[in-house]
Amino acid sequence: MAGVSLSKIVKRFGAIEVVHGIDLDVAEQEFVVLVGPSGCGKSTTLRMVAGLEEISDGELTIDGRYMNRVAPKDRDVAMVFQNYALYPHLNVAENMAFGLRIRRVPNAEIKQIIADTAEILGLTNYLDRRPADLSGGQRQRVAMGRAIVRHPKVFLFDEPLSNLDAKLRTQMRAEIKRLHKRLGATSIYVTHDQVEAMTLADRIVVMNDGSIEQIGTPMELFNNPVNTFVAGFLGSPPMNQITGKVTETGAQVGDTVIQLDRDLGGLAGRDVVVGIRPEHVSLQPGEGTTPLPISLDLVEPLGSEALLHARFGDDNLVFKTDTNGQIEHLSGIDTVHVPASLVTLFDAESGRTLRAGG
Amino acid sequence: MAPRNTRWTRAVDHLKREWQIYLMLLPTIVWFIVFLYKPMYGLQIAFKDYSIFRGVANSPWVGLEHFETLFSNDQFFRAVYNTIQISALNLLFGFPAPIILALMFNEILHATYKKTAQTIVYLPHFISSVIIAGIVITAFSPTAGIVNTLLGWLGIDPIYFLTKPEWFRPIFVGTGIWQEAGFGSIVFLAAIAGVNPSLYESAVVDGANRWQMMWRITIPCILPTILIMLIIRIGNIMEVSFELVILLYQPATYSTADVVNTWVYRQGLQSGQYDLAAAAGLFNAVVAFVLVMAANSLSRRFSRTSLW
Ligand SMILES: Nc1ncnc2c1ncn2[C@@H]1O[C@H](COP(=O)(O)OP(=O)(O)OP(=O)(O)O)[C@@H](O)[C@H]1O
Ligand SMILES: [Mg+2]
Repeated sequence: MAGVSLSKIVKRFGAIEVVHGIDLDVAEQEFVVLVGPSGCGKSTTLRMVAGLEEISDGELTIDGRYMNRVAPKDRDVAMVFQNYALYPHLNVAENMAFGLRIRRVPNAEIKQIIADTAEILGLTNYLDRRPADLSGGQRQRVAMGRAIVRHPKVFLFDEPLSNLDAKLRTQMRAEIKRLHKRLGATSIYVTHDQVEAMTLADRIVVMNDGSIEQIGTPMELFNNPVNTFVAGFLGSPPMNQITGKVTETGAQVGDTVIQLDRDLGGLAGRDVVVGIRPEHVSLQPGEGTTPLPISLDLVEPLGSEALLHARFGDDNLVFKTDTNGQIEHLSGIDTVHVPASLVTLFDAESGRTLRAGG
Repeated sequence: MAPRNTRWTRAVDHLKREWQIYLMLLPTIVWFIVFLYKPMYGLQIAFKDYSIFRGVANSPWVGLEHFETLFSNDQFFRAVYNTIQISALNLLFGFPAPIILALMFNEILHATYKKTAQTIVYLPHFISSVIIAGIVITAFSPTAGIVNTLLGWLGIDPIYFLTKPEWFRPIFVGTGIWQEAGFGSIVFLAAIAGVNPSLYESAVVDGANRWQMMWRITIPCILPTILIMLIIRIGNIMEVSFELVILLYQPATYSTADVVNTWVYRQGLQSGQYDLAAAAGLFNAVVAFVLVMAANSLSRRFSRTSLW
């Protein structure tokens, strides 16, 4: 059992509180991703788990053991840093061996471990090189290797891919996922890239301004965001949010009343934000859809799909549609059809999701 | 017509575009010409029978005569030997001192304490050599000096330190360290400050203690700086700070204290043998030049670090 548990964790720098009492349970072998905008406290939270920042308040346990006052080296965690933190004067093999040498692992054993790890990471031919003579992706791999060789209970990643170009990032993302499957170690991964979060996570923790907004599997968060923040953060492009009002028959935006498939009994007259995912609309009317008149600004072809940038009243909306290899027919679009079952309503004031009947 | 002199026109274009930068370079070039290259003209007297009345240009050539005189002069050889001795001691003790000091400062966690300690250690650098020598002479004086007073408490008779040839080198090297180690540590502190902090964080998570971090991270990371400073130091090996020697030595200690520069000073300015002194100075410069070239290429070969 190598779970990590944060209970009411608070971090203050001087008088300023930057993490406001976080509760999070990471199960053994789980891959949890902390995601949120810049400055929301992701790194700080991760560094408290690593022991690089003192915990101001609350309780941290790893594997059931109380960790607040335990030195980083005795927490049995390994961390991968955003800038890799490779030692410039050591070659790849010695960089990976650093932690083992500190722990006085016998030489023969180190050699074996390094060879095995280099094999897994495809670094076998680079073991003699210095970090300066490696590509970004290779450096990233060495940083991972240095964490892996220690066989820690918990892996901590702080934006490990953010220094890589888009293509390499996609590739390394898949590699990290494969590695996690293979090693099965408990992992906490910080990123501000929602695609990374969606693809890697068993569960995602969405943070905002030092607090957790929502915890759940990627699909839970995608389908049932608890508020406008989570809805706007996950998904690309993000969910369209249009201000409107609940009526007897649906949700009114502008002159259009969008039909909904749920009972809105007690909510009539309430100011709401109507959330529509870009990919949920269709261009043809179907069963239970409401036509929404839009004025199209721009069509962005992405290949198999296209983005439609449009205006509705004062709101800028984005929709996503399949192209089937053609985009000419898209330029004349003036209506999209919104399916009743896929519209999310948020309270206009609090931003919280409104459930049927509630 | 094909453009002629493309290289020349390109250089002119370049100059037109970047003239501000060259303008900024100008004072440095002028400084070099006036203070370093123009005096080199006078170096020719090392090969001439120079007299101030005839002037540099009109004195007759004498070939290597002065160098023959030099190399058959016991005092000159003694001065070369002393210079190398003192420089070697300086290198051995004086070179590591600021590095050790910087590493120690780096371990001080209390900010105010660290700043105060640093300021105190920097101070002697800003005191003129004359006063430094005065302090040293007073401290080692056989009657009132603190050193002999302390020795007296231990029941040891006063020692006339500054008249004893065997004490000159330790006192001289020690004074140099006291005067310059603090200020010299600034370069290494700057190098330490440039080490990426996440290297230390990563090492902390890996389980390294402060001692291991110093040996395995700090020192290797500032090694390029150390090597550069060492190259410069080796280039200056023939340049013992001779004001301090002149202030501290006396005829009784010439046997260990007289260095090339002080000998040149006595021959040239006091005995008026400018041509012989110039020859000795030229010899000094050539040796220093060879040393710095050698140190630089060795460093480049073995550590990929070099001055040029
Ligand atoms: N040492 C510090 N002293 C004071 N404030 C700090 C310190 N470190 C971080 N902070 C503050 O804490 C907040 C959270 O910082 P943190 O680095 O955890 O953000 P983050 O979510 O990792 O952001 P990013 O995505 O940009 O890395 C920020 O407002 C930051 O200014
Ligand atoms: Mg961060």
